[in-house]
Amino acid sequence: MLAALAAMCSLRGRYYRVEVAGDSMRPTLRPGEFLVLRRGAPAPGRVDPGSIVALHDATGRLILKRVIGLPGESLRVGRSVLINRRPLIETYAQGETPQAQFRGANQLAEDEYFLIGDNRGASTDSRDFGPVRRERIEGTAAFRYWPLRRLGRIGTPRREFGTAAADDLPLGMIRARTGN
Amino acid sequence: MNIRDRVASLLRPNEVAHAHCDIPCGIYHPHIAQQGAESVERMCVLIGELGTPSDAAGHATLSRYVAEKEKAAELVKHEVRILWGDYFKPPHLEMFPDLHDKAWNIMKLAGTARGSVSIDDAKALRAAVDEFADMFWKSKE
Repeated sequence: MLAALAAMCSLRGRYYRVEVAGDSMRPTLRPGEFLVLRRGAPAPGRVDPGSIVALHDATGRLILKRVIGLPGESLRVGRSVLINRRPLIETYAQGETPQAQFRGANQLAEDEYFLIGDNRGASTDSRDFGPVRRERIEGTAAFRYWPLRRLGRIGTPRREFGTAAADDLPLGMIRARTGN
Repeated sequence: MNIRDRVASLLRPNEVAHAHCDIPCGIYHPHIAQQGAESVERMCVLIGELGTPSDAAGHATLSRYVAEKEKAAELVKHEVRILWGDYFKPPHLEMFPDLHDKAWNIMKLAGTARGSVSIDDAKALRAAVDEFADMFWKSKE
């Protein structure tokens, strides 16, 4: 009993729970879902591309976004995301980046990450506030426990690139070209 | 309060994490696509009226008309893609089973209208976009 209590206390230190609000991480996360987050910034070099991280924005709100660009990478957000000139295949994303949010970075600095919401037509993220330094990351989404029918680990999708060299093909065409 | 809500309230975390959007999200309107299609038609008329330019000023005007026409056709494609991809949801497909075909057709018509100087092509694009806009408004009824 005591051991269980101790285990729970130690877990409470390492993990915390949040409720999702808003639509910008659809379809992956829906408003009203409950998540468990691993607490703290990942160690240098240990931020997985594709992981969903939490941080406080300039207004003091805790926000959730997906890690898309890593330190040292060049990144361009048009209708699709190009990393080092290669189109990122993003099966988790929906919608299209509005023209007003087309952005890029010639090279992300050491310890800088580019975060984007999965709902590309309805998210405020690095396309607006720029790259984020690693120390600002406060947690990483690990698990969804509510609703029960969507219970499960929040995985990190394997990073895949299309072979098309085209800069701004719609996502659908890139998928078609690469056979994904 | 049903059982599901009771359980949810017991499990609810204290903290809220925002998957937020500060820009006005969820606001969709077919007007820009319609305006784009109208611009394509208008540019075709203007190009026709201009005829073959004989001096530099005429060439400059023609270039402007052509550039504007191509930009407007691309705008149509972009805006229709947003409505089709972001706004329309699976339940709408039951209401409009040919939604995908209509959107696809607009891409083709806009491509054709972009490359040609045909008022007929422009009118076909405009009609297709207006029809798409009607579907949008019907889906909101």
